[in-house]
Amino acid sequence: MSFVRAGPPSVHALGLAGTGALLLLAAAALPVDTPLLALFACPFRAATSLPCFGCGLTHAFQFAIRGQLASAVSSSPLGALLAGAAAVHALWTALRLAGLPYAPRIAPPGASWRWACALAVVANWIYLLLRNAP
Amino acid sequence: MAASAFGARRESRPGNSRLPRRGRHRAHGTEAALAPGCLPPDVLEGAVLARCPSCHNTFSTEQSGRQTCPVCGKPLLVPEPNVAPPPPAAELVREGAGTPWERRAELGFWTGWGQTLQQALLEPGRLFAEARLDRGAAQLGFAVFTTSVFWAVGQILERMLLHGQTERMRQLIAAVAQNPDIAPMLKRMLQVQTDASTPEAVISLAALTPVFAFVLLYLNAGVTHAVAALLRQAKRGFPATFAACAYSCAPLVLLAVPACGWIVGTIWLVILTGIGMKVTHRISTAGAAASVLVPYLLICCLGFLAMGTLAVTLRNTLQP
Repeated sequence: MSFVRAGPPSVHALGLAGTGALLLLAAAALPVDTPLLALFACPFRAATSLPCFGCGLTHAFQFAIRGQLASAVSSSPLGALLAGAAAVHALWTALRLAGLPYAPRIAPPGASWRWACALAVVANWIYLLLRNAP
Repeated sequence: MAASAFGARRESRPGNSRLPRRGRHRAHGTEAALAPGCLPPDVLEGAVLARCPSCHNTFSTEQSGRQTCPVCGKPLLVPEPNVAPPPPAAELVREGAGTPWERRAELGFWTGWGQTLQQALLEPGRLFAEARLDRGAAQLGFAVFTTSVFWAVGQILERMLLHGQTERMRQLIAAVAQNPDIAPMLKRMLQVQTDASTPEAVISLAALTPVFAFVLLYLNAGVTHAVAALLRQAKRGFPATFAACAYSCAPLVLLAVPACGWIVGTIWLVILTGIGMKVTHRISTAGAAASVLVPYLLICCLGFLAMGTLAVTLRNTLQP
């Protein structure tokens, strides 16, 4: 990854950083394993007893923000990756607000990137299926 | 019969008006000059080099079209010389003048908001075509304002209008909770539900709706843009997706309607997001629909797949 000189972050960079930071803070502060939040079961899992694509994301964020990376990856590898990306983006945006004049150069995703992302989602779901298998 | 023009246009030397209509062969030592049946070497000043398809000799000519080969005398057709293709022209993109909300400085706050809401609900194509991609902050403001205000109003109205039903549900849960087997969980649910129904809790939740609206908007835009990028439909970047998602929040005014408003509003939002993606990214209807609906379709397909698997497993288990 290369970096380019850049000015202050854009509105959307700020918005995405704020969203990521809020999600991480919520995961750190909210008791997701106690009622009432624990009562929000995944409807897909409730209907099929199989995890959906997004199952484990909340716990992955919760473990990641507390530094328990192994547990975060165990809950959802993709969730742990997203939590890390959210934290890095929020931190980098804060640094840019503070005057850091560099931003990562982001090229439009090529075919290999698109396939890699699709495979990552599928691989994450297969992992969740196998992990929850009896 | 066509001759193949294989040379680039050569520079003509001025003052050589004696060049005949018929082409003449290339200079001494060239492939054409060494070929059998060639004319004597001479100074060649044709503009285009051509090869006769009959005798395969090369000659030079200043004109294209029908003519005869200077070597074998057979008729041939010299095509137009290859001209370098023009560089790809940049796409002419007409940037919109701005939605009424983006022009609220001149129209006024409420006029801008009302006209934007009206266009989003009744003329979404026109609204999305007018949206400017450099006005992300204004679009964010419209979505957060519209969603949070009507969401908060809906929560308060729901508490007031559906209070009796909620109270009956609470009494039912309290009655069931007397059972010692299921008491701990239901008592906890009852306590949480009672706490969440207090006026303080309702007002607190209503005050937090801008934060919820902000997070949900960016999550929706992020997921939609990720799917669109995977499907190669994100032609104009994240700002275009964000504009589509932000103005698609207009139907969430229905959140103020208790009980059923959120259902209608959410379905309307999904449809408007598809229209918005089509217009802001300038993609096909199918591409826009796929970008918006693929996450839902994947979940539904997985659901059917899982149901089928469970049904087969159950049938195999029950068979003697």
